[in-house]
Amino acid sequence: MTPAAHLTTLAEAIAFAILSAGVLAGGLLTITRRNPVSAVMSLVLTFGALAGLFATLSAHFLAVLQVLVYAGAIMVLFVFVVMMVNREESTPIARQGLVTRAAGVLAAGYLFYRVAWLVSHERSMPLLAATATPPVKDFGTVSSVGALLFSDFLFPFEAISLLLLVAVIGGVMLTRHVREDRSSRGS
Amino acid sequence: MPTYAYILVSLALFFVGTAGVLLRRNVLIVLMSVELQFAAGTLALLTFSRALGDQKGHVFAFFVMALAAAEAAVGLAIVVSVFRTRRTASLDEVNALKG
Repeated sequence: MTPAAHLTTLAEAIAFAILSAGVLAGGLLTITRRNPVSAVMSLVLTFGALAGLFATLSAHFLAVLQVLVYAGAIMVLFVFVVMMVNREESTPIARQGLVTRAAGVLAAGYLFYRVAWLVSHERSMPLLAATATPPVKDFGTVSSVGALLFSDFLFPFEAISLLLLVAVIGGVMLTRHVREDRSSRGS
Repeated sequence: MPTYAYILVSLALFFVGTAGVLLRRNVLIVLMSVELQFAAGTLALLTFSRALGDQKGHVFAFFVMALAAAEAAVGLAIVVSVFRTRRTASLDEVNALKG
């Protein structure tokens, strides 16, 4: 390996370490914060670091979308709802039924431990050991992902836009405040 | 970095989200944990997309993102309308369906 290539690998490893540490620290902060506003801000950290990880996977389009959609739009939605519903908890972790919940977390933890063990045990197989971006032209750019989206996946794309429309109408209908006097006046 | 490192990060993030869903009782934090799980799934899709050299994973990650946005919008609307009628955001107190 040439010194320059070695340096690139080292820089990649450092970037990966910092970004994945940011993702996991942000995730842990999100589920442990007592104040929902701090949890939302930790979630922004998680999604920002995750966008960086997407960029290291040469998924440039998805990295930008991650920042726009998650760190932008969804976070604003969360902050507004936190503003309306903000009730600070006295105890963030529920006491009642704690044994059942802890058993659930332990079971889930064991499952993930086993999968992680399997992945690291089989890490030398070709699929899991692949390191570099494949030699595909324009991999992960807006034009190539968009071309795929509007050719092979046109029907799912239209279906997802219908889903978003339904979600918008559902959100409006669920939060609409119907006043009694207006409904009794009728048509 | 090799694929398995990204998959391990994705697994850890999904576990953090699962633990949040199971342990917390503030419905907003539970919704945020669900978003963490969505994000972990997106990371796994993009990782295998790179390992296989196939951009279909990017398209599916795009769909997951749109789905997560729709879920957040409807979920938060339900939170707001439950809060209006019951004045609470705690999952332990919203138990009218309990048998």
